Amino acid sequence: MQHGKYRFIVGFLALPLAIYAVFVISPFVQAIYYSFTDWTGLSSDYSWVGLENYDRLLDDEIFWKALRNNLLLLLVLPLVTLGLGLFFAFMLNVGGKRRRGAVIAGVRGSGFYKVVYFFPQVLSIAIVAVLFRYAYEPTEGGALNGFLRAIGLDSVQPLWLGDPDLALWCVMAVMVWCNVGFYVVLFSAGMSSIPRDFYEAALLDGANRFTTFFRITLPLLWDTVQTGWIYMGIIALDSFAVVQIMTIGPGGPDYSTEVLSFYLYTKSFRDGQAGQATALGVALLIVTLIFAGIVMRLGRRERLEF
Amino acid sequence: MDQTISPLLGSSGTFLPVKGPLTMATVTFDQATRVYPGSERPAVDKLELDIADGEFLVLVGPSGCGKSTSLRMLAGLEDVNEGAIRIGERDVTHLPPKDRDIAMVFQNYALYPHMTVADNMGFALKIAGVPKATIRQKVEDAAKILDLTEYLGRKPKALSGGQRQRVAMGRAIVREPQVFLMDEPLSNLDAKLRVSTRTQIASLQRRLGITTVYVTHDQVEALTMGDRVAVLKGGLLQQVDSPRNMYDRPANVFVAGFIGSPAMNLVEVPIVDGGVKFGNSVVPVNRDAIAEAANKGDTTVTVGIRPEHFDLVNGETKSLSKDDKAGLAVTVNVVEELGADGYVYGTAHVGGQDKDLVVRVNGREVPMKGETLHVVPRAGETHVFSTSTGERLTD
Repeated sequence: MQHGKYRFIVGFLALPLAIYAVFVISPFVQAIYYSFTDWTGLSSDYSWVGLENYDRLLDDEIFWKALRNNLLLLLVLPLVTLGLGLFFAFMLNVGGKRRRGAVIAGVRGSGFYKVVYFFPQVLSIAIVAVLFRYAYEPTEGGALNGFLRAIGLDSVQPLWLGDPDLALWCVMAVMVWCNVGFYVVLFSAGMSSIPRDFYEAALLDGANRFTTFFRITLPLLWDTVQTGWIYMGIIALDSFAVVQIMTIGPGGPDYSTEVLSFYLYTKSFRDGQAGQATALGVALLIVTLIFAGIVMRLGRRERLEF
Repeated sequence: MDQTISPLLGSSGTFLPVKGPLTMATVTFDQATRVYPGSERPAVDKLELDIADGEFLVLVGPSGCGKSTSLRMLAGLEDVNEGAIRIGERDVTHLPPKDRDIAMVFQNYALYPHMTVADNMGFALKIAGVPKATIRQKVEDAAKILDLTEYLGRKPKALSGGQRQRVAMGRAIVREPQVFLMDEPLSNLDAKLRVSTRTQIASLQRRLGITTVYVTHDQVEALTMGDRVAVLKGGLLQQVDSPRNMYDRPANVFVAGFIGSPAMNLVEVPIVDGGVKFGNSVVPVNRDAIAEAANKGDTTVTVGIRPEHFDLVNGETKSLSKDDKAGLAVTVNVVEELGADGYVYGTAHVGGQDKDLVVRVNGREVPMKGETLHVVPRAGETHVFSTSTGERLTD
């Protein structure tokens, strides 16, 4: 068996590694290379400019704004989405009041809610963004302000996406709305794999719903939460589609909803500064790597087995 | 806990709950009934059971007999549709589990995998808001009794099956409840550990003096551990008695066949003058029993004989017909040699059909496969049951 072992391994690995190198590694290297040039992206002429692109980035107010918005999204979005997802999943699965027949059950009609929560996930993000753009419309037709008027709050008529202080939060709300359903389903699946014995034992130990959730459910669900956190973080670092389709500008009034991915797109395809844009891309890569590193470190725990 | 038995008191001297006369932890099932939604037949049907303070009661029966459901009703994990359950004088029928002052050992132990042994054992006290120092003291005392001291910092994953079982026991002990509930706590252990652990649990229960309800499907466990044993079948209580009485005087055919290993031989035989005809012999049976059966219109009765209550005969006893040997001819199919004894699994021709019988023989004189033995039941050791109702006729 030892004889020809390496030839055997190489035989299987060569092709996938070659494909990986051509389609994944080389674009990375290429992008980093272009970030040191003044390539416009429109012609094939470019020259080496060294760190000039990065220099300009450091002085770019819009870049810092976009980075700040991305970091805010990265902090708030997973926290709110996962928090709501966990809360709903807990209520649907074990949070119900004691009913006839079962000690541990979800709230009434939990099967129905599970389906309803998943609806936004089925809709295309483009459709969602368009729908919410109309809902946020501050004029007569806007659903939100219409609702506020209908309940007699004529004085409270925010500009929503037109207000620089409010626009980013509007974007976040839409992204939470889109994603919460998926996490309800994901966490429901995770919770149903926790043996009922634990809940019954906790019940006998005198734990109420609150303690059961924080001391039993959450620790046992930690692996799933961590996966969700990474996934949600990636969505937060991207958020291109919602910003592009929904916000004013696009990019919001006073760049209030500008994010790195959209800024990168503007730089390269509107302004014809592909070299500058790839430098932005490299910055985004660094942010992503730092985020991944932090999540891995914080989330490292012993594996649990039931 | 496999070598020494530690002193009853912990190092603090306060471990054992001091039960005054006011905290009599009797348990009463009063016509308690459980019907699962969507099912016609109750899973537990009008269960009537009185468990004395400090008693070790074992619920035993085949799977699906309602024993676990009964226990879970007492724990509050299962609703009671009719009747009531009382602990002492308190009606707990509709109380939530945490207010019942009980502790339960689950079949799979249900140890929280993300907590250490110490945290697992102290969880209930922590929730109850007991001061940390007190919790630690109680956990350490319980750990000492169960020989778990060196494992207190470990997670359940790093423990063997027997150790996990002890942690589950410890979690119950630490709470000092009025009643212990145990749901087949030994079924995940290997055969040898199960035998040693069952005596340890029984002796621990006796030392602590806490009323215990124990569920098992293993009749040997039931007989060896319980002060009293309750046999259930199909949600109905069949008999509650001490292990001795359960073995000597089973109340009906089901209990007779369920209790004892190997099982009692149950043979349907015709009634004749002065007793019942058993092969070529007449076995004398209490006249009243025969009369009672005859009154019901039965022409046969079911006779139960335990394997050890057959005597081997070789034609010395009085026979009905002169040509045949006395007793019942049993053709040996299989012999199980256990050293001290041997069990003969054979076939006999009784009442017009072939019947499988088990006979205990001396371990030094086991017959060969294919041989024919002649056996008669020992007088006074037979059990007679009505063929139509299955109820016991003799007393």
